[in-house]
Amino acid sequence: MAKAFQLFDTVKRYPSFTLGPLNFDLEPGTVLGFIGPNGSGKTTTLHCLTGLVRADGGRIEILGRENDLSNPAWKHDIGYVGDEHVFYERWSGAKNLKFISQFYPAWSDDLAMKLARRFDLPLDKPARDLSKGNRVKLSLVAALAHSPRLLLFDEPTSGLDPVVRDEALDVLFELMETGERAIFYSTHILSDISRLADELAFIIDGKVMLRTAKDDLTDQWRSISFRLAEENVRFDSAVTVRRSGQDHQVVTCDSEATLRQLKALGAENISENRMSVDEIAVQILREKKDVKASQS
Amino acid sequence: MLLNLTDLSSEPLQQQIIRQVRAMILSGELPAGSDLPSIRGLARENRVSVITVQRAYEELAREDVIHSRRGKGFFVSEIPDRKKQDIARQRLRERLTPAIEQASADGLSPEDIVKTVADLLAAKPLSHKEE
Repeated sequence: MAKAFQLFDTVKRYPSFTLGPLNFDLEPGTVLGFIGPNGSGKTTTLHCLTGLVRADGGRIEILGRENDLSNPAWKHDIGYVGDEHVFYERWSGAKNLKFISQFYPAWSDDLAMKLARRFDLPLDKPARDLSKGNRVKLSLVAALAHSPRLLLFDEPTSGLDPVVRDEALDVLFELMETGERAIFYSTHILSDISRLADELAFIIDGKVMLRTAKDDLTDQWRSISFRLAEENVRFDSAVTVRRSGQDHQVVTCDSEATLRQLKALGAENISENRMSVDEIAVQILREKKDVKASQS
Repeated sequence: MLLNLTDLSSEPLQQQIIRQVRAMILSGELPAGSDLPSIRGLARENRVSVITVQRAYEELAREDVIHSRRGKGFFVSEIPDRKKQDIARQRLRERLTPAIEQASADGLSPEDIVKTVADLLAAKPLSHKEE
């Protein structure tokens, strides 16, 4: 099966910001969380993938096809929920959906209605009268009603209340059951998708600094506390080190390496704590350094 | 199959799945030969990522508790009683080790610890399945 997407040296330059070069891909059946602070290049990456902006360099393939901006056929199998929700403001939700449906051969009115009901979205109101949350819901329905093989999301759940957010996540879990679809999900807070994501890519200042299986993070990262008299030690794989007298607390991205070193140094009272994906993500983003390099 | 998974535990979701599925197998609730939910089905039902379930199944397969049949999914393996006991003992060891280390750091002697465990067993008679 073709990859859901592939980026080859994709670059986008702005006067004060350069995205890339990006080289990564997404396998079908996989949910990839795209994590980074505001302004790190998440939205630009999604805009390059969807063809909303033209990359200045490199190549992009979507489901095995070049994303040729002059021939939109490659878009038929994409569902995109962007950072802005663009509709015909005077038209009702239903009429907007009808309009969008003509661009997608696989569109199902039946599925669109079902999703609108699940999200409790009124379809009779003009788009301009919809709340922020309802605009997100309308975008979600529009993105999902043609059962796309690749879903591209730019913080789709921001603006949704917790109940609808939960329902939306349920829909995404159901979508992933077939194993043919892929989701690329950008967010600056992980908690939304910390259970859904199979893999995570961290982007900072326009560069992807770490791409990893989520469960590898929770397997390998630990917060380790211990006592050590020796000073000025450089701890293996340490991401952050806190010290108060002889008491140390080290967050490590490779607990085995760190524990080996601590035992060799004769550290005492060693205790290790697991960390949640969210805690680890915060550490990675805070450090802004190449964690991958220190892991190898 | 609905598991009882929580994000609030320090035990990763993958370990929670392994532990709960293993417990159902050791207790006989999931008898030898019965089929397990598909990886993707279990992931959807319990709202965890596919890779988490996949790795949990792989670990259970490494322990010979379950096995896969190509194209047919995963099945509960035939586990001899002696092996069940070994697994249960290993699990107990893993869980007791940190508790013992902590007790010892708190100043209890090995005799104190053994006596405490014996008291607990005496105070709360455990149900034990007859063969």
